[in-house]
Amino acid sequence: MIMKQFRSVFFIVSILAITALALGLRLRAVDQLPIDYDEDDYLGAAQRYAQAIKAGDVREIMDYEFNYEHPPLTKIVYGLSILHLPEEDLIPERPPTASPASSLPEPHFQNARLTSAVFGTLEVFALALLNPPSALLLGIHTWQIKYTSQIMLEPLPALTSLLVVLFYWQACKNGLFQIHSENSQVLGARTNSVRLFSDFRSLKRPIFWLALSAVALGITAASKYTYAIVGLVIIVDIFLDVRRSRSDLPTKWGRAVGVVLAWGLLAILVFWALNPRLWTDPIARIQASVFYHSDYAQSEHVENAGFPAWQQLVWLAGPVRWHPGVFLVTLDLYILIFAIVGFKHFWRQYRVFALWLLIAGIFLLAWPTKWPQYLLTISAPLCLSSAIGIRKTIWEPLKRKVRQEKLKRSQIQTRGKTLRSWRLRGESLSGNSWRELRRAWLWLLPGTVALILIAFYPLIYQAAMALTDFNTMSILDGINGGVWREFWRGITGQTEAVDVNLWEFFNRFRRPTSTEVHFAGFKLLGSLLLGILPDLLVFNIMWTVLSVGLQAALGITVAVMLSRDGLRLRRFWRTLFILPWAIPEFVGALIWLRLLEPGKGWLAVMENSPFESFLATFLDNPNTTLILLLVAATWYGFPFVMLAATAGLKMVPKEVYEAAAIDGAGRLSQFRYITWPLLWPLVMPAILIRSIFAFNQFYLFYTIQSFPLMTFATLSYFAFSPTYGGQFAISAAINMFTVIVLVVLILWFNRISRATEGVTYA
Amino acid sequence: MHRRITFWGQVLNQFGLVVVGLFVHLPVWGLVYLAFEGGTMGWPTTFRLWPEEPTLAVFKQVWESASQSLPFVALLKNSLLVSGGAALISVGLGTSMAYAFARYRFPGRAPGLFALLVGALLPPVALMTPLYVLLTILKLRTTLLGLTIVYTAFAMPFCVWNMRSAFQAVPKDLEEAAFLDGASALGTFWRISLPIALPSISVAALIAFLIAYSEFAMGWLFVDKSTNVTLAMAISGALGISTFSGSLLSALAILMSLPVVLLFLLLQRYLLDRLMFTSAGDD
Repeated sequence: MIMKQFRSVFFIVSILAITALALGLRLRAVDQLPIDYDEDDYLGAAQRYAQAIKAGDVREIMDYEFNYEHPPLTKIVYGLSILHLPEEDLIPERPPTASPASSLPEPHFQNARLTSAVFGTLEVFALALLNPPSALLLGIHTWQIKYTSQIMLEPLPALTSLLVVLFYWQACKNGLFQIHSENSQVLGARTNSVRLFSDFRSLKRPIFWLALSAVALGITAASKYTYAIVGLVIIVDIFLDVRRSRSDLPTKWGRAVGVVLAWGLLAILVFWALNPRLWTDPIARIQASVFYHSDYAQSEHVENAGFPAWQQLVWLAGPVRWHPGVFLVTLDLYILIFAIVGFKHFWRQYRVFALWLLIAGIFLLAWPTKWPQYLLTISAPLCLSSAIGIRKTIWEPLKRKVRQEKLKRSQIQTRGKTLRSWRLRGESLSGNSWRELRRAWLWLLPGTVALILIAFYPLIYQAAMALTDFNTMSILDGINGGVWREFWRGITGQTEAVDVNLWEFFNRFRRPTSTEVHFAGFKLLGSLLLGILPDLLVFNIMWTVLSVGLQAALGITVAVMLSRDGLRLRRFWRTLFILPWAIPEFVGALIWLRLLEPGKGWLAVMENSPFESFLATFLDNPNTTLILLLVAATWYGFPFVMLAATAGLKMVPKEVYEAAAIDGAGRLSQFRYITWPLLWPLVMPAILIRSIFAFNQFYLFYTIQSFPLMTFATLSYFAFSPTYGGQFAISAAINMFTVIVLVVLILWFNRISRATEGVTYA
Repeated sequence: MHRRITFWGQVLNQFGLVVVGLFVHLPVWGLVYLAFEGGTMGWPTTFRLWPEEPTLAVFKQVWESASQSLPFVALLKNSLLVSGGAALISVGLGTSMAYAFARYRFPGRAPGLFALLVGALLPPVALMTPLYVLLTILKLRTTLLGLTIVYTAFAMPFCVWNMRSAFQAVPKDLEEAAFLDGASALGTFWRISLPIALPSISVAALIAFLIAYSEFAMGWLFVDKSTNVTLAMAISGALGISTFSGSLLSALAILMSLPVVLLFLLLQRYLLDRLMFTSAGDD
């Protein structure tokens, strides 16, 4: 009983503490962030709405034209927040592409920003009611802080869209989809039947929550259109539930559609009521404002930004980079990582939130406009998924371990012995294994000496270098032991760390001048680990997955085609297909460039080339450049997988297929249920080898250099340019970062399968 | 799969293979075309499927002077020395280590395996600067031996890792039988394990060879004498010069790929039968 009370008190206190922390961080940002794009637009609109409200001029509110692409509710709310203040000069109306204003009238500016921060804090509070740890993550997420501390359209719809899902969640928990049974056996699972279709009287509470969610959806849509995507999420969730339910009612689909329609109608009504611009001529005006966005997405302004399709992931993979010092905690990268790790459990526990992350995430990837504030559409479910990822990968294993330790200790105590843990472990290292070492050491000697000298010593040297400012100017000192000297003096605290900036090697005017190596501390490595290179990290991992996936798909397909009984010319084709593997990678890259390069390539200089206009912009756009790179990488990498799969297919016993054929399995299901499960462990090592090569891919990027370095480069290619430019320490830091990323990826992969232990050519 | 292919299945499969074949060989044909066309400065500005007057002139030119008036053979010799050396050192020094990791349960084995894996994962660029410093101290930096050591460093951990798996796949019973017949540990290794694992070891050597054979970016950091330039470096160098010729580059690339292609064609059967990627597991 006391425990229970303690828990609920702890729950309340933690919610309050998290909310207070979120508010504090936002107030700090309100104070310190510079004026951003569009803040003048929204504040200007707010001022005019405030004037109109004061004058009681409803017409003006209804017909205010400026910034019509966004519905007016958020701007009106900002207007209300400055209603009590004396009037200031009106901010001029400028086009949406204009650069940020240099100054905005106080105290309006401060007040509107505070309003934004209040909505942002309320969102954290709302999420804390569901799951406090995730609210903590939302509270410290730097993108979330930035856009809920500036006068943006995001804070209000971000809050209300969370409310939409929360209310819906509440409706579900109150039994919207539960079986209604007379015997009080509670069936928690929502899969059983749908109460919605049996008894309406007991549905008062869930219907109430559902209605609230519709109202919240209306407010969301009236604040900013994109956030209304949660409406779609809820419809999908409802239909998923109905499909799963075993209700025998023949009308279940009809009723579900009815509920969705009623719910949607209510949302639309609220939307209309809160959108004064739509009170007259709603159809034309809503068309104008919605179509504005699709036009804008294809406008030059968006295209010139040159963001790749996956840019939103890049934003998420690192903290806000433009305002150093404003954000106290910058763990955005890890929030993303744990969100990915925890997604499976997230789906099981909070399906509608997982759907939200999925659907809105796909929308963000597909929508051409890539401004980072759009992230706020998914930040709440992202943080929730991340909290579950942390619980599953860190918190619960830790708890289990502590419990085991406790158990072990109590067992030892009851036996009356106090064995120290090292002795417990020592038992497995019996004298036997030392004898093994005596037998093995001579075998180990030559290889170990060589590897220590040429691979591991260099690796440790890199680690030491990463903590210094070693560069071309100080090369003599460095070669003569300067790196070790500074490393030692630095970590024993005999010397202060100098400042080294990752971007220094791009800066021609700040070349280092000192001829001595200096200790630079862990700052550079630390900033890398906190996501200072999100572009490269995201691209590198995405590149590995995509290129190896394509290689594997093509390689396995060709191997299966070649393995058919009675196929003609089998040997000929196989020989032909191995060829790319024998050609050096960079030559292969070169000839693909030869084929596809705009203006100069084979396809481009073709007479009446149908490809010419298509190729003309080919290397300007990151997405199409990626396609070229993927084609080249697939071409080069698939023979290896094909060989492995061919060898593997030989080991699949033919009798299995006969049995399956008798059972009437089609060719597709034969592949799905027989070939694939047997083949997978055999090709996995080859795929792993290709993955390592793809992760460190170098020559392909070296050869096809016609794109910005920051968008397209593996970490290993990126690290090459500071080395070449003589900034050895910076390159070393990037390399150490690469090694850390690779080790983490391999350990994670190892958890999924034990394939790394058995990578074999037998 | 098992059922004999029908006529239409044959047609369909052949069609698919032709498509993949085009994908594989279209770019290769571009290279061949350029080389045989001869004398194209820069990249060609017209499209043709077939050279107007096929000529071997560029090949002759490359043969006599591939890079900075060095004949092709001299560059090939450098390449073969460096990559053959890297492959031999990797395998020669690594085999016994791989065997020990596969057969013995000594303390420190697990961390050793992990270190080996990290070594195999390492991007070459991560070793560049330290090796530069190391080889400068040893006064080997600009020599071919130095370059060989660099490439060995790139390839060796990967080789050892793969050879370890190969030794692991050798049935233990065989070794024990030999041991019971009175063979020494060395004898068992030499007569039983090594012959069985030899195909995989040669594949590891081949991969080490390929890594070194096609490397150029790091090479340019270490080599500063034109007589020590390798083939791959010569090609990358030909890209940068002002009198760049597409034909010359293509001819050089073809000549460079030819030995490897021949090697692959020779080894094809061997590769297919022996290059079985199996998951041996860690017993």
